[in-house]
Amino acid sequence: MRLCSLYHKIDTQSPVQALLGPVLHRAHDNLTKPTELLEDNPGKRILLLGNEAIARGVLEAGVRLVAVYPGTPSSEIGNNLTAIATRIPDFYFEFSTNEKVAMEVAGAAAVAGVRSMIACKGPGLNVAADPFLSLAYVGVRGGMVVVVADDPSMWSSQNENDSRYYALMANTPMLEPSDPVEAKSMLIEAFDISEKLELPVLYRTTTRVSHTRAPVELGPMRDRVSTVKFDKDPFRFVPIPSVAYKRHPWLLQQIEKARRISEETSLNYRIGEGELGIITSGVAFNYAIEAVSTLGLKAEILKLGMTHPLPERKISDFLQEHTKVVVVEELEPFLETQVRRVAQLNHIVVTILGKEQGYFPRTYEYTPRTVIEGLAKILNRNTPINWQQIDSKAEELSSLPSRPPLLCAGCPHRATYYAIRVATRGKAIYPSDIGCYTLSIAPPLETADILFDMGSSITTACGIARVTDQDVVATIGDSTFFASGLPGIVDAVYNRHPISVVVLDNRTTAMTGQQPHPGTGLTGMQEKVSPIDIVDVCKGLGVNYVRMVRPFDSMATLVSEIREMVAWVRENKQPAVLVSREPCALLAAIDRQQTGTPPHPYRVNSDLCNACKRCLHRLSCPAMYFDSETNKAVVDETLCNECGICAAVCPQGAINRED
Amino acid sequence: MRIVRNTVDVTNVALSGVGGQGVLTLAEVLAKAAMLDGHNVRVGEIHGMAQRGGHVLCTIRIGEHAKGPIIDPGTAHLVVGFEPIETLREIHLVAPNGCVIMSSHILLPVAVSMDQGTYPDHDAIMSATKRFTTNVIEFDAMELAEKAGSPNSLNMVMLGAIISTELVPVTKDSALQSLYDTVPQQFQQVNSAAFNLGFAQVGGMLRL
Repeated sequence: MRLCSLYHKIDTQSPVQALLGPVLHRAHDNLTKPTELLEDNPGKRILLLGNEAIARGVLEAGVRLVAVYPGTPSSEIGNNLTAIATRIPDFYFEFSTNEKVAMEVAGAAAVAGVRSMIACKGPGLNVAADPFLSLAYVGVRGGMVVVVADDPSMWSSQNENDSRYYALMANTPMLEPSDPVEAKSMLIEAFDISEKLELPVLYRTTTRVSHTRAPVELGPMRDRVSTVKFDKDPFRFVPIPSVAYKRHPWLLQQIEKARRISEETSLNYRIGEGELGIITSGVAFNYAIEAVSTLGLKAEILKLGMTHPLPERKISDFLQEHTKVVVVEELEPFLETQVRRVAQLNHIVVTILGKEQGYFPRTYEYTPRTVIEGLAKILNRNTPINWQQIDSKAEELSSLPSRPPLLCAGCPHRATYYAIRVATRGKAIYPSDIGCYTLSIAPPLETADILFDMGSSITTACGIARVTDQDVVATIGDSTFFASGLPGIVDAVYNRHPISVVVLDNRTTAMTGQQPHPGTGLTGMQEKVSPIDIVDVCKGLGVNYVRMVRPFDSMATLVSEIREMVAWVRENKQPAVLVSREPCALLAAIDRQQTGTPPHPYRVNSDLCNACKRCLHRLSCPAMYFDSETNKAVVDETLCNECGICAAVCPQGAINRED
Repeated sequence: MRIVRNTVDVTNVALSGVGGQGVLTLAEVLAKAAMLDGHNVRVGEIHGMAQRGGHVLCTIRIGEHAKGPIIDPGTAHLVVGFEPIETLREIHLVAPNGCVIMSSHILLPVAVSMDQGTYPDHDAIMSATKRFTTNVIEFDAMELAEKAGSPNSLNMVMLGAIISTELVPVTKDSALQSLYDTVPQQFQQVNSAAFNLGFAQVGGMLRL
């Protein structure tokens, strides 16, 4: 019996630390061996992911401190740095609690006088926007780069917000690399620019920069200082109104200096020749080059690597030399608006074409085709490939059965969500949060009803509980709980919101590649420390009902735990927390592999299976399928992760574990 | 600077499969092999949400002027499908005279098991494929992977098959070297056996 109620002293250390082993191995389990990034061999070319190139750039730029919160498509930056951090002299790396924390840790290091960096995904910069805007006012003494990875097409994000607007709002310089080669080389320039201007530099990638592999040439590495002395200057670094009053004009003055850098830097350059002009930045530059050559056009491209402040003179010269200028950029018309502004200010007669007239879309990531079709429409030409014909042939294949991402075979969340549905008969409201578990939106689990951002499961539950009389059961992952669940718990306790919260504690940050978090007992520097237990945290914050359950121990117990919690909340009109603790199936599988544990997959006894399909219809486990020849359910033994939930839901008792 | 005509010398390979089948590993091994042979490469991949047992597409572009990672519809010289309907899902990428390598081993999507869709029969899959190209090489790569010693070596069966077509400017030696450089030592024997089985399988089919 491993159930722990708040009335019993629970042993938080041993079960937690017993689960720690596999966590040590996963955060850097990607293909390019992270140690290759340490090679002191300038001139050598290796195949690097854009994010790996940024990690290498950290070494070549002599960055002293890096703080990140993982988020796709930025995650591999941290994964690679944590794997090599202990082997870099005078280097500190941390997985911060969230992006705001990361911005403040890195920002303070840069104020103290060393080079520092933060990396996050687009929505992460939203979380960190408050300190970012203040940092621009007070400025930094060591170079600071803010890496933000946007996600056009929303491959792994809740929106495709265009983070470039933060450069305008904060008034910070911005660089946009277009491929893995630039991801490294421009990072080094970003630090130089930051130090020249004493401003943090926004460094914006997109999925197709961060997640493209290309040959990258290694450069020389730079040493870091061990420590610096913090020189006090409170009337610069404490932006009380009278200080901020003086810093804002300073900031505008710095951004004018930045504009001169933008005019002179080789990051903003022209390529090609022809009457047609194209202005582009980021990954879209590659598609523009490919489109020009595919269409056999004569065109000149102005490629912008520094996109804030823009080189207005360079742009104005370019506009004057071409009668027609096309702006090619993903997402919002960020450059396009500025280019139109430059034309108007300089009274230039030129046709500027882009998103405003509908030649290019504002949604989803671009492809060479997007640019070819846009240019073909502008120039009134045919595309070299008849894509309409291919599209209509592909349309006929639209009835293929879909294969969306799913909770893995053996995922403990499947057991918990199944139990939540059973216990509440599917009738409660289920606020969800950011992580693998948001996949429970799909049938048959269907336990995600509302989601805004990290941590919103708890707070949206509060809002819903106040204006409905329905039961509210929120689910949140362990890493997300630490990242931004705590203020929600405090709100629920203090304001007595009647909500049930299930913390899906799978001992890792699973979605982004198994990074540690404050509950795991491992740091970004690979140090073992005391994990912070979520049960203790909730009790400490004043939650009067906190219990812990192991979801694979007994389905009946799991269901009754949830039922009891919901009943308690209804009666006591205050929040309750149930921590459902079981390591991520991927960790468990790796653990088995590493310890050489022989597989004991589950198997369907076809004599007992009566083809009721309850296992398939209620669990949607990717390791199970229905064999239409034998008319029986089958467990694919190569995919089974041995959780046994199928055995628990089978009314015939037909599913058993192999000996 | 001049823009050179740059899309003619690039070999485009699209890999389509299911998360967990080793699609990304195959892309990395193939790209590194191309680099060993002195080529420029780009690999396009998607991580995170896109990997959780769902459909995975990975692109490899080999050639001096490969710039971006993306392959447009109708421009892939080779589409490699790890599973029949995953092949169909990306078949629109294949060039009209391009080639398709498809493993016939079926992984039933959960939707089918839940009675929310039907898996097309073999004839339907083949005739749909052949509407895009007639160069289709089909074999059971799972059977060969199991013969090599592990179903996890399926991706190296596919690598052997790719090299055997001679459609990609990568030598067999470089491909094997890259495999040894990437795969942990304890799995090298199984994976090189898988490579050789895939290579021989397609070699035999092309000679017929």
